[in-house]
Amino acid sequence: MDKETVVRVARTAHLALTDEEIERFSADLGEILDWFKVLDEAPGHEGVGVNPTPVSDVMRDDEPSQEYSQPELLKDMKTYDQYVRGPKLA
Amino acid sequence: MKIGLEIHVQLPTRSKMFCSCPTTDAPAPNYHVCPVCLGMPGAKPVLNRQAMVYGIMLAKMLGCTVADTTWFSRKTYFYPDMSKSVQITQYDHPIGEKGVVYLGAKKKPIRITRIHLEEDPGKTKRTADHFALVDYNRSGIPLAEIVTEPDLATPAEAREFLGQLIQDIRHTIDLPEDGERSIRCDCNISVGRERVEVKNVTGMKNAERALTYEMIRQTKILKAGGKIERETRAFDETRGITYTARKKEFEADYGYIDEPDLGIFHIGELASTIRIKESPANMAARIADQYGIDQKAAKQLVSTSVELASFFEDVAKQYGTENAVKWVGGPVTANWKTMTEAGRSPRPVLDIIGRFAKGEITDTEAGIKIKSAMTGVDAKAAAQSSGDLDNLIKGFLDENPGIVDDYRKNEKAANRVIGFVLKQTGGKYTSAEVVDAAKRLISERL
Amino acid sequence: MIGEEALPRLKEINSKYQMFRAMTDDKDIGDSKFLFSAKDNLTSMDMETCSGSKILEGYHPVFDATPIANMRKAGGKLIGKTNMDEFGFGTFSTNSAFGIPRNPFDTNRSCGGSSGGSACAAAVIEDHVSIGVSTGGSVACPASFCGTYGIVPTYGRVSRYGLIDYGNSLDKPGLLSVDPKKLREYLPVISGKDPHDATSMCQPDLDLNSDRIKSVAVPKQALEGVSDDVTKAFNDALEILKGSGIDIEYVDMPELKYAMPAYYILATSEASTNLARYVGMRYGRQDGDMSKRFDDYFTEVRTGGFGVEAKRRILLGTYTRMEGFRDRYYAKALQVRLGVIEAYKKVFANHDAVLTPTMPFTSPKFSDIDKMTPVQNYQADFLTVPTNLSGTPHLNCPCGYDADGMPVGMQFVTDHWKENLLVNMAEDWDRMFEVRRAEVSL
Repeated sequence: MDKETVVRVARTAHLALTDEEIERFSADLGEILDWFKVLDEAPGHEGVGVNPTPVSDVMRDDEPSQEYSQPELLKDMKTYDQYVRGPKLA
Repeated sequence: MKIGLEIHVQLPTRSKMFCSCPTTDAPAPNYHVCPVCLGMPGAKPVLNRQAMVYGIMLAKMLGCTVADTTWFSRKTYFYPDMSKSVQITQYDHPIGEKGVVYLGAKKKPIRITRIHLEEDPGKTKRTADHFALVDYNRSGIPLAEIVTEPDLATPAEAREFLGQLIQDIRHTIDLPEDGERSIRCDCNISVGRERVEVKNVTGMKNAERALTYEMIRQTKILKAGGKIERETRAFDETRGITYTARKKEFEADYGYIDEPDLGIFHIGELASTIRIKESPANMAARIADQYGIDQKAAKQLVSTSVELASFFEDVAKQYGTENAVKWVGGPVTANWKTMTEAGRSPRPVLDIIGRFAKGEITDTEAGIKIKSAMTGVDAKAAAQSSGDLDNLIKGFLDENPGIVDDYRKNEKAANRVIGFVLKQTGGKYTSAEVVDAAKRLISERL
Repeated sequence: MIGEEALPRLKEINSKYQMFRAMTDDKDIGDSKFLFSAKDNLTSMDMETCSGSKILEGYHPVFDATPIANMRKAGGKLIGKTNMDEFGFGTFSTNSAFGIPRNPFDTNRSCGGSSGGSACAAAVIEDHVSIGVSTGGSVACPASFCGTYGIVPTYGRVSRYGLIDYGNSLDKPGLLSVDPKKLREYLPVISGKDPHDATSMCQPDLDLNSDRIKSVAVPKQALEGVSDDVTKAFNDALEILKGSGIDIEYVDMPELKYAMPAYYILATSEASTNLARYVGMRYGRQDGDMSKRFDDYFTEVRTGGFGVEAKRRILLGTYTRMEGFRDRYYAKALQVRLGVIEAYKKVFANHDAVLTPTMPFTSPKFSDIDKMTPVQNYQADFLTVPTNLSGTPHLNCPCGYDADGMPVGMQFVTDHWKENLLVNMAEDWDRMFEVRRAEVSL
């Protein structure tokens, strides 16, 4: 994987990499992608592949309920006036 | 000019889409939350059946082909209000695709690309120094997203389309009256070749405003020989302008994958058991067609009330379209609101019209009986009051014969009579009654 | 029976083997009927849950993972959360942010991974059962390296509610113990439908009836690249099985060569979305500089919080699902998985189980692990990955020891939902083969 791609992927994934890391991951991921090439020759399939065993039509009833209290849920969060605090938006 | 819309509608479920938290207004921020909608590690989503049912209803209403098998996808992006940094939405297997909506009296076809379900993120508030304060009460509220083809020609048409769509949606899934507040859309507009997207506009009025602003902006640029940039813009409601959105906020590589936590849904069978009510727009179009009446008159019936329009159909089927137009279009419409407010049924009115149709009672008698049956005013008083009203109008017309002549050219001439009577009688008669009587009596003199 | 001295001794045991990331402070076992431990990627209300990652330090879940809750309901006492590779990303448990568990047979060697702490606890603590989690081999591998039994039931058999996701379409809780009777006893406890996890809701009833494996298929592809020690122990085990009346046939499963890349693509694609939620808000570490813009703050927290292997897999998984690459990698991998499942089903039409060695070598020394490249590292899982990709149940049985006395394991794979064959096999095997216990000297 070329270094520009590594940098672009890292930005998408919100990871900051040092030059050394870019170098290293570029080599690692290149080797891994080479290894994946065998897939190109694998036969396709028409089926639905979301889960390895069938999981279908699982739905719950539209019944509101709450199991946990607000203080319990927010106990380890940084909050202000019951709002969850986050970093700057601008 | 081409305009396409992506419309987000909140579905009126009682609990959230993937957890049981209530969807009602919460007394405080982060009150209707749980491990699932807070995205806590280890928690898993489970789909609310009713969200799926509403989705299928809307897909049917939009004339979409409902998928046999549908499932969800993960859209990954980073923002403080998205608790999992992943939005559960639908990507390549939405509930419905390829629908069409016929817009207004001209029945202009507006193609629907797709309809899919997705969850709402939380809400972010900014402090004065721009820190984010996040309320996850909305996190996981079920939404349907409806995407149209770029078939709308003007901002006004887009507004008309949204108005019709909102009424139809409200009717189909029993959305509360203030539903417009819960409708948001992304507007795509291209005057020239390049498409500009205005994100996250609330309500149909703002959609028209945003689109109009964009139309003018893009036209100006093109006239000056400039180039439109393909971009995402935001709409400032207070100033009525659009502006370039910060790129990073919207430009992400979402990297969609299937959502394995929910499995797949074979909805073909479920869809076949779901019957939807005819939408008001479709009903008006059908009534106009089926009974050969004016589009406007049909729309008037439906917009007064869908039940009134059904009553029109009952009368037309039993006693002919002429009687339906004469009576339902006239005094029944005039008194419909009073009748429903008093909790009365239109059933006796059907019998009265029947007696008139068979020649058992006269025109005047039928009119009085209908009013009495609908308003509960005693027949004598109704006769008296209706006689009084008729006499007042007749007298005014005798004094101003020119009105009848004017009316031939323009029906608005009746407004003079109506204005006079309303002023004379104060609140004694409803305006609908006065309009009906004035038009009837003028017509007699034509 | 549970010894009264069990709990006080635990701390000593742990200081030698580092199998626990968090431990109970209780001095006695109260009314509990048995002790168990659970991998640190299963939420527990009474113990911090970190999934081996620094980024989750300080996460105190408000709910127990369903398998833990069920074990407690059955009278179990959770004594500790077992150490693991960060988020399950590893084969040797060397990728934990909280120390490395030591192999009970040689503390200079790995327990295997990623449920290394669970295998170590199962091997070292008397009368113990540990809940592990397997995504691509994370139960069978450490069971093999530590010489214990390890069963991974069918995908969807055990609820994943409370399991901190690695790959949602691959993750499967399982059990490790040196006593195969514990698999029969506790598999029904942790199994069953759970309305909190949709993927558990479509399973048939678990019935551990007496059906037995009568014929096994050994894929030729599984014997290539396996060390001599392992090959020898495996062949000896085949002789014992033949002697017990089980038919053995060598078969061709060419589809297996696609399983590894398909697995790594699906696992990392899903993982990279699961790990997107760790941004220094709401739970875990929240010690970044919030006066930064959100993108920068998230990046700072993630960059500091994730280990190298986690970063490598996030990058890989983000890439394989990106627009433009998604069809070639992610979408293709989904299709390939269906092909691998079909290949297994074909074999199961004529055989009760597929049998291979579990790992191509015995537990390596930590000094040798350091020299491995990522691809060499990933390839170590080539025998455990195909069954995990296909969601089929599988079992590690200790089946021999190499010249240094390190355990060798063999792996039985059966068709979806046929855990009964595996549980019966484990008990039968335990009568045919003498499993060695590690000597615990403190």
